[in-house]
Amino acid sequence: MFILKPHSGVPIYRQLLEQIRRLVSSGQLAPGTPLPSIRELALEHAINPMTVSKVYSLLETEGVLERHRGKPMTVAAQRPGRAPVASRRKALEPHVDNLVLAGRQLELDLDELVEALRTRWEKTDD
Amino acid sequence: MTDSYVVARALSKSFGRKSVLESLSCDVQPGDVVGVLGKNGAGKTTLLELMLGFTPATSGEVRVFGHDSWRLPGSAKARVGFVPQQDELVNQLSVGDQIRLIRSFYKSWDDALVDRLVRLWEIDLAERVRSLSVGQRQKLSIVLALGPKPDLLILDEPVASLDPIARRHFLEQIVEVAADGNRAVILSSHIVSDIERLASRIWILKDRHLYWHGDFDALRDSIVRLHVRTAATLPAELEIPNALRIERSETGAMAVVRDWNPERGREIAALVGAIPEVEPLTLEEIFLELHR
Repeated sequence: MFILKPHSGVPIYRQLLEQIRRLVSSGQLAPGTPLPSIRELALEHAINPMTVSKVYSLLETEGVLERHRGKPMTVAAQRPGRAPVASRRKALEPHVDNLVLAGRQLELDLDELVEALRTRWEKTDD
Repeated sequence: MTDSYVVARALSKSFGRKSVLESLSCDVQPGDVVGVLGKNGAGKTTLLELMLGFTPATSGEVRVFGHDSWRLPGSAKARVGFVPQQDELVNQLSVGDQIRLIRSFYKSWDDALVDRLVRLWEIDLAERVRSLSVGQRQKLSIVLALGPKPDLLILDEPVASLDPIARRHFLEQIVEVAADGNRAVILSSHIVSDIERLASRIWILKDRHLYWHGDFDALRDSIVRLHVRTAATLPAELEIPNALRIERSETGAMAVVRDWNPERGREIAALVGAIPEVEPLTLEEIFLELHR
């Protein structure tokens, strides 16, 4: 279900967190979809179960996941038919940060950045 | 911390006049997976032996399940599993007899787990221990440590001789132990990638002290690489607080810092004239940077 790279330098909990947020926001993980148990996910990727537990708890607090006693965690119903703008924006944050950083390093101004964004966006308009 | 599994306080150990460990204080809680890192000769094995009560402290103390490790009662010993760096198998015995021997020391033993691992790792019960390969001896040592389902599992370079497949099985066993929130693991290993996957806490032994003992995530947040790619704005003398290393080039500068937090980004930006890019480091990179 997930792609985790334990040795990329990015903490595993952050990879899992961002991935689940993104998959839920985009609708790829539909409401009601059960998630692997903490133990299953930890075993599959050979990672510490506490890491998985931390992520699941955080996402439960955010309303992205739902806990059910004695049953696997599921994707919570996201209003209305797709994730609220706030959580979609949150999922976008790391990508925006990277773009802003690249822009600064290349010493481009905001207009040039927006222009580059617009050009690529329009290219995918079909 | 009355429920701590291990508590070390100002623990020191010398062999004759040679000081190996100086004033270590750290603890292990149920549910912890502690990764112990250090150069060869840094004292990792000595630290583990102190915790196991194989050798007495020179000063300070270490308590396991509330007892002085040097005077651990049988009931506490039964809750500790150990995989030593040099195995303690009996060469003349068959694998089956070796297992039965260790099993006889314990009131409870997970036969199903032992059977499953022996089969998974293709260890022949009828074979003599002396004819086992180094890898098989290591696997057997791991199985024997897991058999009594210890609450505290201590491993000293347990997989140095195992191939990646066997190592993966081993990692899965540690995940199982960790998934039981009431057990704890102390893993000393040079295979940093294994520790990176599993550890919740890290101990780094350096120069006879604990350079770091704490949360793995906190360690990763603390020690980072900063990149500044605009040489034009850099001052002639670059002084970054808490920098472990600074490197300048025509295109900018790179600094490895500790005790990083995002607020320092602004402080650094004022110093160098540009917002630094923060690069998180792998555990191996952190270890290498600390030993440059």
